[in-house]
Amino acid sequence: MKWSPLALLSIASPALAAVHEIWWNITYVEDANPDGLQPRRVIGVNGTWPPPPIDVTTNDTLIVHATNSIDEPSSLHHHGMFFNSTSWMDGAVGVSQCGIPKGSTFDYVVPINSSGQWGTYWVHAHASGQYVDGLRAPVVIHPEKEAHSYDEEFTVVLGDWYHDQHADLLKEFISIANPGGAEPVPDSALVYFAQGGSYLGPISGTNPDPVTSKVGFNENATLPFQPGKTYRLRIVNTSAFAAFFFWIDGHDMRIIEVDGTDVAESPIDLISITVAQRYSVLVTARNDTSANWAIHANMDTDMFDTVPDALNPNVTSSITYDSSASLTDLGTVDAYHDVDDLSLVPLEVIPLEPADRTIELEVLFDTMDDGTNHAMFNMITYNSPRVPSIMSEMSLGDNATVAGAYGQNAFVIDHLTTFDIVLKNGDAGKHPFHLHGHKMQLVGRSQDYTSDDPTLNPPLNESQANPMRRDTVQVPSMNSVTLRVVADNPGVWFFHCHIEWHLEVGLAVTFVEAPLIAQQRNNIPEFMYDQCKALGQPTSGNAAGHASATDLSGLASGPFPQNNGWHGKGIGAMFGCVLTAVIGMSTVTWYALGGHITEEEMEHEAREHQEAKERRGKFFGLFKARA
Amino acid sequence: MARNVFSVPIFFIVFRETLEAAIIISVLLGLVEQIIHQDPSLIPGAVAPTIGAATPEKEVERSPLEKAESSASNSDNAVLASAPVLTSGEEPQVDTKRLLRKMRIYIFSGAFLGLFIALAIGAAFIAVWFTQASDLWAKSEDLWEGIFELIASLIIFVMGVSMLKMDRAKAKWRVKLQRAFAGHTHDKGARTGKYVLFILPFITVLREGMEAVVFVGGVSLGQPATAIPIAAIVGLVCGLICGYLIYAFASRTTLTVFMVVMTNFLLLIGAGLFSKAVWSFQSNAFNHLLGGEIDDAGGDGPGSFDVRGNVWHLNCCNPENNFDSDGWTIFSAIFGWTNSATLGSVLSYVFYWIAVVAVLIYLKFKEGRTTLLGKESSMGRRRRERKEAAELPQASS
Repeated sequence: MKWSPLALLSIASPALAAVHEIWWNITYVEDANPDGLQPRRVIGVNGTWPPPPIDVTTNDTLIVHATNSIDEPSSLHHHGMFFNSTSWMDGAVGVSQCGIPKGSTFDYVVPINSSGQWGTYWVHAHASGQYVDGLRAPVVIHPEKEAHSYDEEFTVVLGDWYHDQHADLLKEFISIANPGGAEPVPDSALVYFAQGGSYLGPISGTNPDPVTSKVGFNENATLPFQPGKTYRLRIVNTSAFAAFFFWIDGHDMRIIEVDGTDVAESPIDLISITVAQRYSVLVTARNDTSANWAIHANMDTDMFDTVPDALNPNVTSSITYDSSASLTDLGTVDAYHDVDDLSLVPLEVIPLEPADRTIELEVLFDTMDDGTNHAMFNMITYNSPRVPSIMSEMSLGDNATVAGAYGQNAFVIDHLTTFDIVLKNGDAGKHPFHLHGHKMQLVGRSQDYTSDDPTLNPPLNESQANPMRRDTVQVPSMNSVTLRVVADNPGVWFFHCHIEWHLEVGLAVTFVEAPLIAQQRNNIPEFMYDQCKALGQPTSGNAAGHASATDLSGLASGPFPQNNGWHGKGIGAMFGCVLTAVIGMSTVTWYALGGHITEEEMEHEAREHQEAKERRGKFFGLFKARA
Repeated sequence: MARNVFSVPIFFIVFRETLEAAIIISVLLGLVEQIIHQDPSLIPGAVAPTIGAATPEKEVERSPLEKAESSASNSDNAVLASAPVLTSGEEPQVDTKRLLRKMRIYIFSGAFLGLFIALAIGAAFIAVWFTQASDLWAKSEDLWEGIFELIASLIIFVMGVSMLKMDRAKAKWRVKLQRAFAGHTHDKGARTGKYVLFILPFITVLREGMEAVVFVGGVSLGQPATAIPIAAIVGLVCGLICGYLIYAFASRTTLTVFMVVMTNFLLLIGAGLFSKAVWSFQSNAFNHLLGGEIDDAGGDGPGSFDVRGNVWHLNCCNPENNFDSDGWTIFSAIFGWTNSATLGSVLSYVFYWIAVVAVLIYLKFKEGRTTLLGKESSMGRRRRERKEAAELPQASS
């Protein structure tokens, strides 16, 4: 197997690196009921749900042996990890791999020891919407020495929760009956906690649902605080759709980490965290133990088409100082606000390099020509290629540098190019955009990218010594954000909206980085080709599986924006209507004219008619006729 | 101008019914004149001594008659009182004029009373309909609109086709009225005969009026109440004017041309309504598909319509836009225009006209005014035989 030398190499490396191996059997878990409202089948690991949290140090190499035991191809994506030059380990189905067939095992090698990454990440399925069905867990990577000091840490996992299977919801979502593209609204929200590779159990005395009884959810969950101590809370939003507003009654927070980037302490009263983002905050415990305090996680309902009566978008958990003390819940806040991530300052200084290239991506949603609602970057909706893009990149030879070979939404980036992604959100909603394999520098934001007003649409400040970096960025409606990326990672990388529903309707592009260098570094393990073959997918050639830069026959594409107006069909139909109307009116004229009858004839016939009527005994007139 | 102000179908329906009533009255007037000059014995109340047997009965029955007629017109009493005088045949010249005047008063008072009652009933009907019943279908507007448009289009179909026979209305009514007079004078005409000239226009106008009410009611179901009065009044006035013009000046050919134009307008409207009915049913089905969020549909552009079976869609020119429809509403009312045509709406429009064509060809054939594939209808054959029979004696002589 091709990958084993790498793994062995890691194991054999001189640092005291451990190989942190875990075996995940991806399974269905029946009747999980974490919100206590409705049992449902979820996708868990090794027969349990939620999947166990991963807790490793930067010395480790993480190997996840993922065996697929569910009925459809699956995958695992370690969100935010670089996988430098090994993008086939990234786990994005259609981009970096075929799905793992049922019964097969994919060994994900996450080279943490070489990637220079630490902080808060997460792992989730990147195959259809399986993470919406529960295949998601936090990943915490500890550096040898933390930049900030604290006494203890917890991971706070937030997530929206659906009572129906993702596949069913998707069918309703991408439907001619939903031309407006109203996303499925979650049925509830979940908050639960982890520490050191395991979840915190429910508060003693509560009566949790048996399937998930080892984990405390929402009001059954609590964080044990001791007076005076400082805690790090790693907040992960694992939602499919919902952003959260997170705050703790009676406690202040200081942001110290964003998407794996350590930042200078920045006080904040309320964290707004959209899908797939992570924040670490320091919370200093109170000195008194007279009360316990509520933790609030309110879903941002702005994006919801409707807020059903049955939905409680606001869930609470608690901080417990003394289990006998009462809970203080201060309720709502006056107003929600976003985290101003542009103002945060990374501890590791990386200046802004000038951009060699600018790629503008405009987000639009619309009802397409098939009547369903889809998302588009620059008016093109993404379709998965038949050949995973990484395999195209490796197999196309010199043709690999042709963007069109990867389908419609691909950009080929030369090695070590510094490029800007100018993301313009022309949609009415806010969207979280995630770039695989990189951290993006936030160069600037515009509040209205169509505006000429420099306060709304300011020019870029190119002289930033240390702009903020993150891997998932929220862009509100009509805003734009400029993201600077250094193409230092040969491979193929997905850039997409992390709202699962939007990814499913094509809000994605791929960046094909340094194809020729990637080919030199090609080390795709053989089992990946076997798995593609097991699924009947081609493994070489362009997106459609042809050894060509341009021939994309057989590749799925569309739907396309509606092209309304006068076209052949309409003009023909209109002509037909006018023609029949003219024929009809001519017939009227023909009927009335010609075949002239004299008045006498008319009277005669009218008389005959009347007589005939009387004989039949029908009297339409008012007078009774006497025959 | 919006569809909230002027309902085109209602205008045409009222116009058509008024015209028919006007024709009847004009026929009546002409008939009375003719009869007085040629055969006064047919006129009830002016019964010649030849049917003198009726006279005693008439005398007996006079008082209740007077009561009834006085309710319609006070002046009738005086006229009526003079009627028996006429029967004696004295001073025929003067009396003919007076009699004619009297008859006309009968006819007009009957006609206007009928019109008044019809209008009252119509107004009441519409008032009740729109104040009491209009909430019934607020929820699934498109379904009801479709049903009403369907009813209206069928009514208009029947009306349009029957309107083409309006040039026969004069003949038809002449026969009918003559028969009515004859029937009454021959039978117990003396008893009810005096009513005839009053009752006949009264009943006729009332009948046409009620027909109009039913039609207007049927067509107006889908229309806003405010669109009815102006359209109805304008239709009424136009009908009266045209009726008078036809009576006063027009030849039969002019009438025919006039009818052809009117019928084409009516059928254009009817075809449009039929097409819109199908469109509304489809729209209703689409709204049901969308579920509670009916707001999702509406307006133009992507998402506002069902792509399946769509034939054309313009992101503008929407006749259903209540705020900025400009002329498209009128365009829609007359020609059934829609900015979002479906296979169903296009086909139904075409089939409506095909049905018109088929019916008219059949009717003309049946009336014996044309041959089909060399065949002749029974009516046509009889007419030809009559014609030949009429010509034969001339030829032989």
